[in-house]
Amino acid sequence: MKKVTAFKSVLWTILGLALAAGVTRMIFGLGAITNQSDTTPWGLWKGFNVIPGIALAAGGFVVTAIIYVMRKHEYYRYAKIAVLMAFLGYLSAATALVVELGLPWMVWHPVVYWQHHSALFEVAWCVMLYLVVLFLEFVPVPLEETSRFAGVRRFLHKYKLILVVLGIMISTLHQSSLGTLFLITPEKLHPLWYTNLLPVLFFVSAIAVGPLMVILGVLTISAVYEKPLEREKLGKLALFSVGVLAVYALIRFIGLVAEGKLATMFVSSWQTLFFWIETALFVIIPILFLAVKQLRVSKAGLWVATISAVIGIGFNRANIAGIMLVRTGEIYIPTIFEIFISLGIISAAVLVFLFCVERFKMWETKWTDPRDRETAPPEFDRSSEAWLGSPRISHRFTFSFILIISLAFGFALISNERIHSEGIKEVPVKAARGGDTLYVDGNHDTFGVYFAHEDHIQREGKKESCVICHHMNLPMDESSPCSACHGNMYTEFDAFRHDWHSSPAGGNVGCMECHPEDQPRLAETAQSCEHCHKDLIPAGAEIEVDDYMAPSYTDAMHGVCVPCHETRAKQKEELKDLALCTSCHGFDHPEYLNKEIEMAFRDTSFNHVVLPFVGDLDKNREDMDD
Amino acid sequence: MQQLLDFVSGPLFRLTFLIMILGLLRTFVLDLWGAWDAYRRAGDKKLAWGDAFSKTIQWLFPVRRVFTRRPLYSLFSILFHVGLILVPIFYLGHVQLWEESTGLSWWTLPHFWADLLTLTTIIFGLLLFLGRLISSEARYLSRSQDYLWPILLVVPFVSGYFCANLNISPASYQVFMLIHILSGELIFVLIPFTKIAHCVLMPLSQFIISLAWKFPARIDDKIGATMDKKGVGV
Repeated sequence: MKKVTAFKSVLWTILGLALAAGVTRMIFGLGAITNQSDTTPWGLWKGFNVIPGIALAAGGFVVTAIIYVMRKHEYYRYAKIAVLMAFLGYLSAATALVVELGLPWMVWHPVVYWQHHSALFEVAWCVMLYLVVLFLEFVPVPLEETSRFAGVRRFLHKYKLILVVLGIMISTLHQSSLGTLFLITPEKLHPLWYTNLLPVLFFVSAIAVGPLMVILGVLTISAVYEKPLEREKLGKLALFSVGVLAVYALIRFIGLVAEGKLATMFVSSWQTLFFWIETALFVIIPILFLAVKQLRVSKAGLWVATISAVIGIGFNRANIAGIMLVRTGEIYIPTIFEIFISLGIISAAVLVFLFCVERFKMWETKWTDPRDRETAPPEFDRSSEAWLGSPRISHRFTFSFILIISLAFGFALISNERIHSEGIKEVPVKAARGGDTLYVDGNHDTFGVYFAHEDHIQREGKKESCVICHHMNLPMDESSPCSACHGNMYTEFDAFRHDWHSSPAGGNVGCMECHPEDQPRLAETAQSCEHCHKDLIPAGAEIEVDDYMAPSYTDAMHGVCVPCHETRAKQKEELKDLALCTSCHGFDHPEYLNKEIEMAFRDTSFNHVVLPFVGDLDKNREDMDD
Repeated sequence: MQQLLDFVSGPLFRLTFLIMILGLLRTFVLDLWGAWDAYRRAGDKKLAWGDAFSKTIQWLFPVRRVFTRRPLYSLFSILFHVGLILVPIFYLGHVQLWEESTGLSWWTLPHFWADLLTLTTIIFGLLLFLGRLISSEARYLSRSQDYLWPILLVVPFVSGYFCANLNISPASYQVFMLIHILSGELIFVLIPFTKIAHCVLMPLSQFIISLAWKFPARIDDKIGATMDKKGVGV
C-alpha cells in the first residue's frame, strides 16, 4: 500500500499548512492571511471551495434519486459513496464558509433571526438542513460497525426514502438559489455569465455533474486501492449525465442567443477565452468522450470525461462567484495562505473519504434488489469489493509527524508584520465647513455629507430646537460643534482634557477642586463636570450624557441623524426615502475641495472607500430639502 | 549579524517552538492511544489503577525512592531540574519577549535567583555528565544521547548567563545571543523525539508499565485469523 501512504502523506502535509493558516485567521482575522479587501470581499474560499464545492456535492441527491426514486437498482452499491461524497462536499463548503465568515459561535443566528429578504438566509437554512439530512443518511454506515444503536440504524433504514426525498427537495432549492444569489450582480458580472437563467443553469449543471463526481470517486478508489471497476455500469450511469449536459448546453446557448449576446461570444478578450475553456471542459469534452460507447466503457475515457467535467463546473462556478466579477477594477491575487486553506479543506475531505472507504463497508449494500437475487448470479465477487476490512489506522506515527512538522512550518512562514496590528488608526476630526449648509466631513477625505443646517433650524422650531442635537455645550458656548467632543473619527474619545484643566495657560484648577482629599485620585472619584460648569448640558437636551467618553465621530453622527430620519420616514409617505443611506451619502463634493481630494488620494493610509455619487447635485439637494 | 538574529528569533523560533509543543502533544496522544489499544486487547483487563496513580505521584518527587539508594545522584538531579524548568519559563527577559509579541505575561524570577539557578543548573548538569562517565554501571546503560543531552542543555544556560550579565563580555553579546537562541532551538526540536519527552510522558509511564504485563502474546495475523483469535490475548 505504498501508493496510498504517499498520497495520504501529501494530503496531511497540505492539511498541516492549512491548519496553521486557519488558526492564524481565527486569531488575527482575515487581514492576517488574506488579500481580500472592501472591493473584493469574496476571495478564493468562496470562489474555489464554497460555490463549486456545493455543485460537486450534487452527486448525493442525483444518484440517490436515480436509485431510490427512478428505481434503477443496479446502482445500489454506489449509493453510500454518493451520500458520503455529498456529505463531505457540503461539510467542506461549510468549513470554508466558517473560515471565511469567522464567529462560528454565531451560527445559530439565521435559525433564530429570520431575514426573509436575503438569498443568503435561504442558503444558510438549506446548508444546515441538508447537512442534517446527509448526516442521517450516512450515519447507518459507520453504525454497522458496532452492535450498539441498532435501533437507531433500523429506524433510519426504515425511513430512508423520506430522507432521500428531503435531500432532493432541499438540494433543488439550494443548488438553484446559489444561482439566484448572483442575480443581484448585473453591474458586476460579465454579460457572458450574467443571465436571468442563472438559477436554472445552476440546478441543471449540478444534476449533470452529480453522477460524474460519484464516478470520479469510484475511479479514485479503484486507482488508489487497485480494485477492478465495473466499467459498463459506470458508463451507463455516465450516459445519464450526457443527456443532462446536452440540456444544459441547450439552455445556456439559447439563453445567450435570446439575450443578444451571440457576438459577445466571439469578441477577442480574455473573458471570451475563459468562456470557451469553460464550455470545452464542462460540455464539449465530456459529451464527446461519453457519447461514444468504446470510450464510455474505457477507464481512460471515464477519467478524462469526469475530470474535465468536474474541473469545468468548478471553473464555471469560480467564474461566476469571483473571476468574472471584474468591474470593481481591483485585481485580487490570493495569498499563499488562502491557497493552503483552500487545498487543506479539500485534503481533509479526501482523507475522511479514504478513511471511510478503508474502514466501513462502502461498496456493499445491504439493500439488494430481490429480482436480481433470483435471476442473476451475484453481481460482484469478493475480489471486486472495495471494502478492505477494518484495519488499524495505519501509519499514525508517520502521518502525525508530517502533520506537526508542516503545521509548524506553516506558522513559521507567516511574517511578523502580518500578525501584528496597531489597531484602528486614530483619525482626528475637523469641524464642518460652510454657512447655512454645512459640509460634514470629519476626517477630510472629501466623502462628506451635506447638512442643511439653517433649514433644519427653521423646520425643527427655530432656536429652541438646537438642544435636539447639541446636547452639551462648552463653557461660554451656545452650541458647540460636534467635533469639539467627538474628536476621533472611528474610536471613542475622552472629552475631558485633564492637562488643559490643570495647566496655568488653561483652566488652572488645583487638584483638590475636583479630587476629594481622602480618596484616590481617579476619574471615577473626581467631581463631575457639572460641579463647576452649571450650563454644560443645556436645559431640555434630548440626549443624555452618562460619562465623558464621547463616542466616535461617525457613531455620534449616525446616532443623532439616523433615528430622527427613520421616524420622519415613517410619518410621511413622501419622506420615505429619508432613511436610506443615499439620502445623505453619495453627493458630489464641492469644487473648492478638489485640491484636498488630490491630497487624500496621495495619502497611502486612505481608508474610506465610497464610490462618488454620479448625478445631478442640485436636483438631489432640492429633493432633500423638500 | 542582526539580520541573522532576527531570523533565528523570528521564523526559526516559531518553527522550532511549535515543533516542540506539537511534537510533545503528538507523543503524548500517540502513547496514550497505543496504551489504550493495548489495554483494549489485553486478555486480563484488571489493572492496578490506584497503584499506578500513586507510583506516578511518587516518581514526580522521587525523594523517598531514589534518595535511599543513590542520594547524591538524586540531589544533583533535582537541583539540575529546578533551574532547568524555572529559568527558561520565568526569566524576566523571556517573559518580556512573550509580552511584546503576544501580550501575555506572568510572574518572573528576581534577577538574583535567575542567576543563581542558572549557575546551579550548569554546575549540576556537568556533575551529572561526569557521574555518568565515572560510574561503570551508568556507562553500561547509556546511549549516546544520554551523554549528549547534559552537555547540550548546559550550552544555552552558559551563553544565556553571559547575555544576562553584560559586564562579563559586552563585546561578544551578539555571538552569545546567537549561540543561546540556536542551541535553545536545537533543544526544542529534539525534545519530542528523544528521552526528554519524559516531561509529558511521565504521567503515562506507570500506566504503561503496569499494562506491559498484560500484553497479548503476539500471534501471526493469519494463524490468529484461522484460530479465530485475531488480536486476542492467549
